[in-house]
Amino acid sequence: MSNANDFALVCESIAMQFGGLAAVSNFDLLIREGALYGLIGPNGAGKTTVFNVISGVLNPTRGSVKLFGTDITGLNPDEIARRGVARTFQSIRLFRNLTVLENVLVGHHLRREATLGEALLALPRYRKEEQDMMKTSKELLQDVGLEDVAHYRASALSYGQQRRLEIARALATKPRVLLLDEPAAGMNPAETEQLMQLILDVRDRFNLTILLIEHEMKVVMNICERMTVLDHGQIIAEGSPSEIQSNERVIKAYLGGGAIARH
Amino acid sequence: MSGNRSNDFVRKAGIALALLLVFYLCIYWVQTGWDAYKVRILNLSAIYIGITLGLNLCNGFAGQFSLGIAGFMAVGAYTTALLTMSPQTKAAVFFIDPLIWPLNSIQWGFLPALLMAGLVSGLVGFAVGAPAIRFRDDYLGITTLGFAEIIRVVFTNTRSITNGALGLKGLPPHTNLYWSWTFALICILLMTRLTNSSYGRALKAIRDDEVAAEAMGVNLFYHKCLAFVISAMMAGVGGGLLGNLITTIDPNMFRFPLTFTVLMMAVLGGLGSITGSVIAATLVTVAMEVLRALEEPRVILGVFLPGIPGMRMVVFSIALMVVILFYPKGFMGDRELSRDSFTNLAARFRRTFLHKQV
Repeated sequence: MSNANDFALVCESIAMQFGGLAAVSNFDLLIREGALYGLIGPNGAGKTTVFNVISGVLNPTRGSVKLFGTDITGLNPDEIARRGVARTFQSIRLFRNLTVLENVLVGHHLRREATLGEALLALPRYRKEEQDMMKTSKELLQDVGLEDVAHYRASALSYGQQRRLEIARALATKPRVLLLDEPAAGMNPAETEQLMQLILDVRDRFNLTILLIEHEMKVVMNICERMTVLDHGQIIAEGSPSEIQSNERVIKAYLGGGAIARH
Repeated sequence: MSGNRSNDFVRKAGIALALLLVFYLCIYWVQTGWDAYKVRILNLSAIYIGITLGLNLCNGFAGQFSLGIAGFMAVGAYTTALLTMSPQTKAAVFFIDPLIWPLNSIQWGFLPALLMAGLVSGLVGFAVGAPAIRFRDDYLGITTLGFAEIIRVVFTNTRSITNGALGLKGLPPHTNLYWSWTFALICILLMTRLTNSSYGRALKAIRDDEVAAEAMGVNLFYHKCLAFVISAMMAGVGGGLLGNLITTIDPNMFRFPLTFTVLMMAVLGGLGSITGSVIAATLVTVAMEVLRALEEPRVILGVFLPGIPGMRMVVFSIALMVVILFYPKGFMGDRELSRDSFTNLAARFRRTFLHKQV
């Protein structure tokens, strides 16, 4: 096996225990830089728990997370974001009372250089930074097609627009790895199609490594190069879409193979 | 292009200076021409504007429900009082337990004393805030409320520093309209700059969704402390101004109702609105005085009505309920009154009444 430093994101035998419940156990993940990787599995399989461990919301019971070779296990979420991991949420978590533009601007805040004093006195460095932030934020909104609603409150957006705003906000943090938690949830087929195109575009334009959670198998099959399948907190398969599609354990987990799938 | 911009800057600075000049001329006129009672109400208005804005920063903009404002005001008031009183007055006031050295022999000017008050209450704010902001919502409220009570009890018992329950008398009456309204202006300016900056957006992000804010790289501890400390500093300086306005302070002034008054001002104006705080703080302060008339005995239509102490509080509660019913988010919600809102209003007026497209 090649060196761990070649990979953008590495999870080594992660276990997450909530009291007596093992939400995830023995979870391994290797994602190459620039990959579009899928993490799939039925409801309650532990996909979001994995995301929460990677992004620092949860501290894993065992195991470690490495980002480009550096251990980031147990760091605070904001520190992990600063090191280049951005995420979206399964249930949309926008800053509802802020405008669409402000939501994206918040994403820029962590890369600020100007101190509080400079901001309060509106010194040149702060003003320049603010102008730059404004410019890149507007560009990001253009990329996701929200430039016309930039001054609306985030809560006034339609569901599909809110999903896209979450992606734009995550991109504003200038991430190297982007975690998308069920970005297509609740979207109609046309919107889903658009979104898949957006994800592919974004990866190429921003040189991102993307880890994508999807509940629907169909969505990931089209765009992910490799994927891991989780069921009951355990990895049951790993491979390319065609390998996964023909994997018997995966089919059983999805169609309900009962006791056979569960060792 | 750059010439235009610098012209624009000169123009804006000119307007600002002219407005300031007019403002201070008005203050000069009021300070010298009006009677002491009205001047005092205006002094109180300005002080409450500053303190309400501080509370609004913490509770409204950053969404940290803090109830410790009276405690920070007490710290500020005592700091300023002990630094500005003359050694002779101190010796006369501390007749049971003498004041400790070096406080008993120093007397500072008002400005350094106020700055010190801000500094000390900011430090206390950090000491309280740093552990307390791990809590959320009601729990944070209870913790900070407890802190304010602790401050009061401590001040009642450290007789050789605060003169205990007897309080301090004979504070130099330094506070006048220049001091109080300059304080209010600085607070308004500080809040406007802060809330419109990148830091302010981060605070609002924390209020709306802590988990998402942290995932976007906003350091929760730093930003919550920031809101807490600045809020405490504003309350501290405001407390100092208040002490030297009424010239007598004692620990019982800084009980929970004081926090409640300030909280009421912020809620009435709208949590998250600077203009709202300014309007509500002024309105409530003035109304508190005007409604005193209700508590005086009087004869109406030949019937003698005895004055009922506390009547104005009843009226206030009713007014508060009415406002909460009809304006659940306060007068202003989280909007601001700015030049833009006037232009928008004018445009809407033209659209509706003159049927013109603008």
